[in-house]
Amino acid sequence: MNAYKKAITAYEALHPDVKIDYQTFPYDVYNQKLKASFSAKKPPDIAEMFGTWVPEYAKNGLLAEIPDGDQLMNEYYEAPLGGYTLNDKLYGLPLEFNIENGGMLIHPDMLKAQGISQPPSTWDELVADAKKLTIRDGNRIKVKGFDFVSGDNITFTFLSMILQQNGKYWGDNNHVNFQTPEAQRAMTALTSLISGDKVADLTTFGGELDTSDYFFQGGSAMTYRGPWSIAAGLNTYKVKDFEYVPVPSFTTNPPAFAAESGWGLVAAQKSKQQQAAIDFIKYLSTNDNLLDWNLNTFTVPAKKEVAENPEFVKANPYMETSLNILKLGQWIGPIADRDYFFKVINDHFQLMTSGQETVEAGLQNIEKSINDSQDQHK
Amino acid sequence: MNHGTATSGNQAIPPQIDMQGPGKRGGRKFIYLSLAPILLLFGVFAFLPIGWSLGLSVFKYNPLSDSALFVGLDNFIRMWSDPIFLKSLWVTFKFVVIAVLINIVITLMFAAAIQRIRTGWLRNLMRTIFFLPTIAPLAGTAIVWSTMFNYNHGLFNMLLGQLHIAPIQWLSDPHYALYSVIMMTLWADIGYNIVLFIAGLDSIPDMYYEAAILDGANRWHLFRHVTLPLLRRTMLFVSVTTVVSYFQAFAQFQIMTKGEPFNETRVLALHIYEQAFSNSNMGYASAMATVFLMIILVVTLVQLKLGRTEWEY
Repeated sequence: MNAYKKAITAYEALHPDVKIDYQTFPYDVYNQKLKASFSAKKPPDIAEMFGTWVPEYAKNGLLAEIPDGDQLMNEYYEAPLGGYTLNDKLYGLPLEFNIENGGMLIHPDMLKAQGISQPPSTWDELVADAKKLTIRDGNRIKVKGFDFVSGDNITFTFLSMILQQNGKYWGDNNHVNFQTPEAQRAMTALTSLISGDKVADLTTFGGELDTSDYFFQGGSAMTYRGPWSIAAGLNTYKVKDFEYVPVPSFTTNPPAFAAESGWGLVAAQKSKQQQAAIDFIKYLSTNDNLLDWNLNTFTVPAKKEVAENPEFVKANPYMETSLNILKLGQWIGPIADRDYFFKVINDHFQLMTSGQETVEAGLQNIEKSINDSQDQHK
Repeated sequence: MNHGTATSGNQAIPPQIDMQGPGKRGGRKFIYLSLAPILLLFGVFAFLPIGWSLGLSVFKYNPLSDSALFVGLDNFIRMWSDPIFLKSLWVTFKFVVIAVLINIVITLMFAAAIQRIRTGWLRNLMRTIFFLPTIAPLAGTAIVWSTMFNYNHGLFNMLLGQLHIAPIQWLSDPHYALYSVIMMTLWADIGYNIVLFIAGLDSIPDMYYEAAILDGANRWHLFRHVTLPLLRRTMLFVSVTTVVSYFQAFAQFQIMTKGEPFNETRVLALHIYEQAFSNSNMGYASAMATVFLMIILVVTLVQLKLGRTEWEY
């Protein structure tokens, strides 16, 4: 919030004829508030949007095109830009790279206590280490060896494991295809972490706390989470006894991953101040301003030059793991209903791990449900 | 046992108001004027949205789009092959049946107990205590109960810990989640029905109890053969309003579980809301709302038919 206020103040100082009325809303109601304002044809001139929401607005002609799209597209990584692009035109600019993959929180002391001198460098090592690190209390897991069971990470890990086998999960007509051998192998390995290797469980899934909270409370030795969770450890839990290290690839290929387009800014097509709105978005997206914004908000830069700026990693040494793999990120794809997409995978993941559904049947059901949803939004 | 004076074919006494001439016109004007605000209110906020929803149900409509595609009955056909709709329908019925039955049994027991208290102030105090949770906003109550259901620091797991019983995932275990919400709903809601039942019990004339006692009836007989039959009208009102209210239950599910885990707490009202406002499937949500309206209407008509009484005392 302060990052925006700072940018607005600076912009207004440069443009005395412009006054920006900055309004904030709780996240829970924000998406609906946006939908209501756009459908009532009274949208804000500039809106912050999550990249995955943007296509729905762009395809209905509600957003203004950002000029010089071709040039701008080269300046950003692919994953954060995907949601803002429609028919090779840009309908907003991302401020951050929303990355949930590639890095994990670890407790080095817990690893050392089990004789593990360094973080795992292969998937097999990861599983072996996770087994050693899991502490049980009867049938209950007291400390999880490798926790990835969060609303985001089950899906992101699954998709990334497909990509790391050089596989694909999108078929024709904006349909997903989870009947590939790569998808089968990925889901089998993922479910076996719960049902076979038993390095994590589902007891805290859907609970009030995030997996990173359980990590910082000592409930897991290694937790797969995006770099944003580092801030919670440093600021909320006031701890420094952790590291953020790379998660090894599922194969010998580089750790490719799928990512949603994160938070960014769009200008409304119906805005009476469209030029000024686009000008502000471009102003905030200059290298210096973005560097400032990303540092203040503890977010990963979406713009290549900002991410590669040594000042950024110097100020955020914990982010180095994520910064090193940004170029491997692919846009998650044209998901019509983000919440439904993730929910379907999460629901069936639970059924598969508890043996109520085979991996084959689970993937078939996931594919059918998601493709039905994709069709409904055409 | 005589249940009083049965008056089937009850004849209403016509009002003795002279509605002839100018007075008649004035009277009608007064009636129209008096009814206009409430009819306008109903029209704008009840009938118009229902009509609008009925219309939308045959379209595929995204509020962000300028156009709506006419799909006929497709939305209605789709819902019968939508596993989440079917699941939410099942969860809704399960919630209504369990919660209404427990509600009526508990509230009737409490009302009967409170009604037997002869000390006036104590009786009022008990009535007030049980009614208090009803005054609290349901959303606030749901938040408080969510903290009590917390796995690590919640009151219920602390109590279980004292009894050396393993903690329970009250809101995220599919076996317990719905019952946890039912528990909260009952706590928040029973006061209203207790007050209604006390009023119903108070209206039963003592002479029936006295006659039954003279005939040798014990307490169970009094309750079974005097109280319950003579409470039938109150029971009908309570059951109809409670069933309708529980069919529409939304806030506690939205706040406490958001329909999870595994859709085990996804009641239809929540599913309709999410389809309409989160997924922008307005047409489909309207079709589900139409079906839901019909279900509630049929259930209510059945209740009214079964609970009809043709006597008075």
